[in-house]
Amino acid sequence: MMSNTYHPMAAKAKSSIASVIANVLCWFVSLTCIAPVIWMVYSSLKTEKEFALDILSLPQAPQWENYVKAFVAGNMGTYAVNSLLDSLLATAASILLAFMIGYSIARFRFRGRNGVYLLFMAGMLIPIYALLLPIFIEFKYLHLVNKMYTLLLPYIAFALPMSIFLIESYVRGVPIELEEAAYLDGCSHVRAMFSIILPVCKPVLATAAILTFLNTWNEFPLALVLISNNKFKTIPIGLTYFRGAYATSYVLLFAALTIASLPVIVLYLCFNGQIMKGMMSGAVKG
Amino acid sequence: MYNKINPQKSTLLGLLTPGVVLFAVCCIVPLGVAFYFSLFNWDGGIHKTFIGLGNYTELLRDTNFWLAFKNNLLFVLYSVIGQVGIAFVMSMLLTSRAVHFKNFHRTVIFFPVVLSSIVVAYLWQIIYNKDYGLLNKTLELLGLQGWIKPWLDDTGIIIQSLAAPKIWQWIGYYMVILLGAIQSIDISVLECAELDGASSWRRACFIVLPMIKNTMVVTIILCISGNMKTFDQIYAMTGGGPGTSSMVVALYAYKMSFVRQRYGYGSACAIGILVLSLLLVALSKLASGRKKNDE
Repeated sequence: MMSNTYHPMAAKAKSSIASVIANVLCWFVSLTCIAPVIWMVYSSLKTEKEFALDILSLPQAPQWENYVKAFVAGNMGTYAVNSLLDSLLATAASILLAFMIGYSIARFRFRGRNGVYLLFMAGMLIPIYALLLPIFIEFKYLHLVNKMYTLLLPYIAFALPMSIFLIESYVRGVPIELEEAAYLDGCSHVRAMFSIILPVCKPVLATAAILTFLNTWNEFPLALVLISNNKFKTIPIGLTYFRGAYATSYVLLFAALTIASLPVIVLYLCFNGQIMKGMMSGAVKG
Repeated sequence: MYNKINPQKSTLLGLLTPGVVLFAVCCIVPLGVAFYFSLFNWDGGIHKTFIGLGNYTELLRDTNFWLAFKNNLLFVLYSVIGQVGIAFVMSMLLTSRAVHFKNFHRTVIFFPVVLSSIVVAYLWQIIYNKDYGLLNKTLELLGLQGWIKPWLDDTGIIIQSLAAPKIWQWIGYYMVILLGAIQSIDISVLECAELDGASSWRRACFIVLPMIKNTMVVTIILCISGNMKTFDQIYAMTGGGPGTSSMVVALYAYKMSFVRQRYGYGSACAIGILVLSLLLVALSKLASGRKKNDE
């Protein structure tokens, strides 16, 4: 044993106090992060009166009609369908396009390859929030506002940079021998790409798809300026209307907020590891 | 071998064109559009008059815009302290041997990141509510009635009140980034320091912090770009109010464009925001680079 200048007992006591403090601190932060969300979910099942009497108490009997009211009277049903359609279609399309571009950048040597890479890199730096008005003017000029597909175009486009970077770096790690063997067998480029490499890339495609779905589901400013027809509005926009219409009905508002968060919560419960890893690599790249 | 692998030009064009065109239409063309219309006085109607750089000189003198920008900078400041600061402490704790249930904590703390900013905004509006708010209730239970405030109506604390949900939502994001960096540090370095009797406080400040400096710079840049584009949450929680006390640049540009219908000036605001955010990112990159050279 090495000689120690401090008393082992005292050090042990000190370190155990420190570890208790460390654990308590972690629990405190965790609780702070999750408590408001839990409060939101269970309060959405209370009656108006119950909530007014005691904001912390659990619901006596779950009031599912809060959800029915939010869905039907509050129009959340329409908004949810629109959001779901937008998110699913934008995710599918952007993953396909991102795979085509990401794969090409990773595998092929062609003029303008760096240019394409830089284009999407620069795109990550541009804050969309600054571009609301010009996008609106451009879309209006092209007669693209207020259509069923209006939001799909920017949603697909703005999802591309991150997905391309994720896919490109993944493909570079796939041994090129896979395609070389396929070419020797007379397989075309496109076929090798889709029938051999695409399945290999499933994990990264899934990560990119989940992140794109989350971002699209939550997107607010573009939906705010490009859509004024109530038929095509999405959940985040719907919430602002709901908030206006049911300003003091907190349990209904909680129900609407829970509806808006449900897909996100489910995805997070299933794929939190992938989500964290994906967002991290996206962040460090940018 | 590369020649054999490269496909025909037409195939390549087919693969690249759809994505590149769509991206250009949604992201690059608007830049040109913004610049073009920023040179006009235009309310969206048929008539527009060319005024050169007039909108930009107005922007430079527009105190409301610069007050909004000041608020953005305040949000950056609070976020760097709150998000990166707390995230660093948490990531140190979650890499220490003392803490249990590490994965659980990490997963739970990261969770708010995936919530929609509109949901977070309305949830916190209720949390701040005078009668039915979680915050006032908690203060009451702790016997701190004196701390109760009109959280969203007091212009003196409005920026802090709005920064809190932001910090709450994004701690996990920065924590996970920093955790990744800390876990990539060679563990023997930390063990050596521990054997030499360095306290965990000293290990954090003098070993871990310098070793993850690059990642720290990344998180600060993320804080800056994240807070320059802050829009949804403010739009939903206060709409820039009370008065204009919580106005931020993105919301200001939105109001100029879509409420006041000043398309020309709104475009100039858009370009201004773009330039300012790129400038801030470049500045922080430069500052961090210079520090490196000093050492």
